[in-house]
Amino acid sequence: MKEVMLDCLGEACPIPIVKSQNKMKELAVGDLLIVQIDHSCAMKNVPDWARGEGYNVEVEEVGDGEWEVIIEKTK
Amino acid sequence: MSETQAGSSIQRRSASSRSSTARKPKPNQLPFAILTLIALILAGLFLQSQGNNMGWYLVTGLIFGYILQRSRFCFTASMRDPFLTGSTILTRAVLAAFAMTTIAFAAIKYGYFKNGLPVPGMNYVVPISLATVIGAFMFGVGMVIAGGCGSGTMMRVGEGFYMQMLSLAFFVIGNFWGAHDFGWWKENVINHGKAIFLPDVFGWFGAVVIQLVVIWLIYIAAEKFHEAKAAAGSSAH
Repeated sequence: MKEVMLDCLGEACPIPIVKSQNKMKELAVGDLLIVQIDHSCAMKNVPDWARGEGYNVEVEEVGDGEWEVIIEKTK
Repeated sequence: MSETQAGSSIQRRSASSRSSTARKPKPNQLPFAILTLIALILAGLFLQSQGNNMGWYLVTGLIFGYILQRSRFCFTASMRDPFLTGSTILTRAVLAAFAMTTIAFAAIKYGYFKNGLPVPGMNYVVPISLATVIGAFMFGVGMVIAGGCGSGTMMRVGEGFYMQMLSLAFFVIGNFWGAHDFGWWKENVINHGKAIFLPDVFGWFGAVVIQLVVIWLIYIAAEKFHEAKAAAGSSAH
């Protein structure tokens, strides 16, 4: 199990989700992907996509308007 | 929101050791909120004194912005996500909004029509032409690259997203450019089209019913598209 950080700070809406989708393909089952975002729209669509895929998702607000979306690749 | 409970089973090994999670002390936001509120009230009073219900526009604009921000309603995502992620949740939200405004605006317009008053908003009934298609395509490309449509860009500038301040600057420049060339388009392309006001063609009741049926059919198609994409996505694993 490893943790992979994905820096999407300053990236507008479609970029974080596309980067997350691509990065997720490289990970093994059980790995954690931590997506750093500061675009409020990505705070919604990244977790929505990950939950739709059936992964475990947690969102943490690490600063004002900065979030970390923690996704566990479960399958 | 369900974010806090949903994935609580995730165990992070090094959550405390990573430097990025070091929290900055948050300044108390209450004084800023009070100052902003006072500034808004003063701005509203000033605008109202300028006439034309300008203060009222500020209030409706603030309400619209608040709802837009809190609901994460995004017109860009509604058109982009079906292609990008196969999700049509926001597409359906926009369709639901269209259905509600169809009924409300038809009611308002019919109220004026029935009392023999001039129907408001008729100067927005403009010809459809090739310019509509070209403009919609250009706007679609632009809003996906810029990360937001008109209202979305403004809302995110308000949230403090730096990149979209750049979007806003070019949004303004583009508007001026558009206004500069609008005469040519109007003369050479737009005026060749035909202006259609649905109640003139189908009657008031027919127009509302037809529009709602079309929205409903697109809604069903969006739902089926979402289900098909989700099924294709999960079988690919």
